[in-house]
Amino acid sequence: MLPRIAPFNRTGFARTVPELGLLLLAILVLLEGSVLPLGAASTPETNTHGEANRSGAVEGHSNHTKKAFPVLSFNYESVKLPFEISLWVLLAFLMKLGFHLVPRLSGIVPESCLLIVVGLLVGGLIRLAREEVPPVLNSKLFFYCLLPPIILDAGYFLPIRPFMENLGTILMFAVVGTLWNAFFVGGLLFAICLIPQTPVLNIGLLPCLLFGSIISAVDPVAVLAVFEEIHINELLHILVFGESLLNDAVTVVLYHLFEEFALVGSVTVLDGFLGIISFLIVALGGVLFGAIFGFLAAFTSRFTSHIRVIEPLFVFVYSYMAYLAAEMFHLSGIMALIACGAVMRPYVEANISHKSHTTIKYFLKMWSSVSETLIFIFLGVATVEGPHEWNWVFVTATVILCLVSRVIGVVGLTFVINKFRIVKLTTKDQFIIAYGGLRGAIAFSLGFLLDEHHFKMRNIFLTAIITVVFFTVFVQGMTIKPLVELLAVKKKQEAKRSINEEIHTQFLDHLLTGIEDICGHYGHHHWKDKLNRFNKKYVKGFLIVGERSKEPQLIAFYHKMEMKQAIQMVESGGGSKLASAMPSTVSMQNIQPKNQAAPLKPKERALPQLSKGREEEIRKILRTNLQRTRQRLHSYNRHTLVGDPEEEGIKDLILKKQMRIELDRKIKEMANHLTVPARTQDSPTMRRARLASDPQSFTVKPSADGVPVIQVDLASPQSPDSVNLFDETGQPAQNDDQGLMMKTKSSESDKRSEKDDLRDQQKLMRCLSDPGPAAEEDEDEPFLP
Amino acid sequence: MFLISVSAAHLLRLYERFQFLDKDNRGHLRPEDFEAVLELSENPIGDRIVEAFFKPGQETVDFPSFVRVLAHFRPTEKNRNRDKGQPDPANSRTRKLKFAFRLYDRDRDGKISRAELLQVLREMLGMQVTEEQLQSIAERAIQEADLDKDGAISFDEFRKVGPLELGSAFILLTVRHLNDEVSSLSYWRSG
Repeated sequence: MLPRIAPFNRTGFARTVPELGLLLLAILVLLEGSVLPLGAASTPETNTHGEANRSGAVEGHSNHTKKAFPVLSFNYESVKLPFEISLWVLLAFLMKLGFHLVPRLSGIVPESCLLIVVGLLVGGLIRLAREEVPPVLNSKLFFYCLLPPIILDAGYFLPIRPFMENLGTILMFAVVGTLWNAFFVGGLLFAICLIPQTPVLNIGLLPCLLFGSIISAVDPVAVLAVFEEIHINELLHILVFGESLLNDAVTVVLYHLFEEFALVGSVTVLDGFLGIISFLIVALGGVLFGAIFGFLAAFTSRFTSHIRVIEPLFVFVYSYMAYLAAEMFHLSGIMALIACGAVMRPYVEANISHKSHTTIKYFLKMWSSVSETLIFIFLGVATVEGPHEWNWVFVTATVILCLVSRVIGVVGLTFVINKFRIVKLTTKDQFIIAYGGLRGAIAFSLGFLLDEHHFKMRNIFLTAIITVVFFTVFVQGMTIKPLVELLAVKKKQEAKRSINEEIHTQFLDHLLTGIEDICGHYGHHHWKDKLNRFNKKYVKGFLIVGERSKEPQLIAFYHKMEMKQAIQMVESGGGSKLASAMPSTVSMQNIQPKNQAAPLKPKERALPQLSKGREEEIRKILRTNLQRTRQRLHSYNRHTLVGDPEEEGIKDLILKKQMRIELDRKIKEMANHLTVPARTQDSPTMRRARLASDPQSFTVKPSADGVPVIQVDLASPQSPDSVNLFDETGQPAQNDDQGLMMKTKSSESDKRSEKDDLRDQQKLMRCLSDPGPAAEEDEDEPFLP
Repeated sequence: MFLISVSAAHLLRLYERFQFLDKDNRGHLRPEDFEAVLELSENPIGDRIVEAFFKPGQETVDFPSFVRVLAHFRPTEKNRNRDKGQPDPANSRTRKLKFAFRLYDRDRDGKISRAELLQVLREMLGMQVTEEQLQSIAERAIQEADLDKDGAISFDEFRKVGPLELGSAFILLTVRHLNDEVSSLSYWRSG
């Protein structure tokens, strides 16, 4: 695979990088496959070496065998475990890197599939090298090391509002849906086993139900991995994801229940009843444990103002303790973790410093990312490892039954749920929910936990579980994206939407969102308000440091607003009116005089013949950018770090400032080419501000004769525009269309104001080059002042 | 004026919301109270929406005005019998369109000028599109809609734009919980 010698342009460069990426991948896989067996092979040597030494020493000091002092020795045994762990983690990282270097591939195949394939390859290599594959995916490792980071990440950044709003639906799917799945699959499998024609499959009812309960749970890891690549809306995402989280309680109960009873062999009504009570205890107990640890964490963070550095640690350790404590009592660890993260977040964020906040964010994302990668790789390796027992009937029946039961379950439940929902779930939604019910590593690990002796059919189960997991992840994972797009396209039929429609629809979208925000979100508002009031009065005072307990979010918000204002103020060069101090604008019309020809045909009647290409281009630009804005505001993507709106606002501001500086530089260049310097456009208020500070800077803009001018109704300078804080881009619109200022022939009136222009420009440059207040907060300052 | 028919329960809820927004208990709202709604700052047209509540020249919004504006967003009744005598209710299609039109047309001169359209585009598309492209888009939009060739979009022209889809979208321009007990968001726009 030689890198192609490409011409030195952007596309050429990108084409060579994926090649290198693939090369890198191949090398790594080989490396991984070879080191591990090498390590294993060397252990017997070092062992005997060690023993020889010891036996030599025991014989007595006088009996030292004289051999040369080992200058270079190889001792793999002592570093074996950490070394192998690091190697696996490194592999995970490099795989992730590699996939991003080959964008075409990751567009078609979801990352999880690729990772499983990598795992298969590595497992295969290891198996070739020696007989045995190390049992990497043992359940302990999975449940105590790999799963918690992912769940904590999900729980800490869980969007509470949509979650709470749809809690009823989510619970219905999680509890009733999982129960339905478990019994349907288990029962029908048992029925199939009873058919005399099937090859020897002597599985009792209870083991079947046990199997059903293992396989029925939707897996959060798989769902997250696949859903992040299809940008579905928040509602569906939270429904499927919430379901995958909450069904853990059901799974735990059913699993233990059937495991116990499968040994005993019979179930009574009393046991069923106890099972229901057990479920309630498991679920609520898990949440309670999580909440307790969450409050403890919040309380601890109140006192950390002097030791900022270890603040993130509290978040992680308390959450992990919550998980372990819940697991100790056989409660639902996942729910404990979610509850802990969700409960502690508002208080902890009010107390900790900005840097700790960032640290927590990044660490969680990092850990969950690595965990997820490792899980899929290990899934691949464990598949190669086996032990497998393939039974055609059982496996195919399982796969088919899983699909069927999921579809029936979703459709049936939606029918009932829609009676209580305002926003009904459409058929398309139902399809996505049903199709998105992926099974994953949790099912596999639970199967692995089964005791070999009590469950002779363990291997059959494992094989079937793996097949279902592979099926859902590969087939459903790969096809869900095209299917979603297909459905979406079918629905809209927007062949030729006019530009106006696009603009107006998007506008309405924003309008609706805005009005909804103003109206506030009611519903269950009685207890929600009561909870809020209770929270404000007692809890916040207890858990948050000092005066920050009063509306900390609001304070942070105003703080950022003030910073924004400050930056604006400096940019405008100390304009008198703070709110309306707009930085003077330089319209791009000045820079591209040659392009004025095309759009400047408003006088022509009958839609001017913009070339087909241009029109399409315009439409495409509009649509993609409107969608991008919509996506940014509406879609939920776990992997994009949840940005603070204030941060982004400030980034925008800085970006705009940079753009202005760019434009200004370009104008300066242009000014050197023409005889007349470009005139900087001053907003009326800007001019007035300057007038106040320096009377000589006021320039008269000569009327533009013989220059193409676009007749536009200008908003008057006294319009409400100028008062508005948010309307930073308001002013340029007024000035853009004041005619082209780049004159082709110089006029006398310009000469006298040339000097003023230069001074104006200098003033502008000075204003814009001021970096403004430092965006960085102090080292140890708390997140809020 | 137009009819506002809001049930007592909704009125109460709106009043509670009004009181919540009115942090200083003044009995009326000012622009700063609206700005306190955090999500609004993220909204590209947030400031226009806030502006829509305030009559031109006024600095405060009292409760009846608050309700009057929000009443536009109740679901449209499909089979209203059209009495010629009675004025249109607030949530009629025309009223909704008029409301949206006013958001575009900030200087209230009855037309959406090119500058105003450009401003809207800039707010919505922000940093993603170059100035030149914005100009082209605005240009094209006006050309498409402008029937009397005055270089601006009047209300009638606005109404005629994409009648089917826009009209139905406007009918759906409702905040559903103003009609129902349980809160929700209108997900017609999702997907």
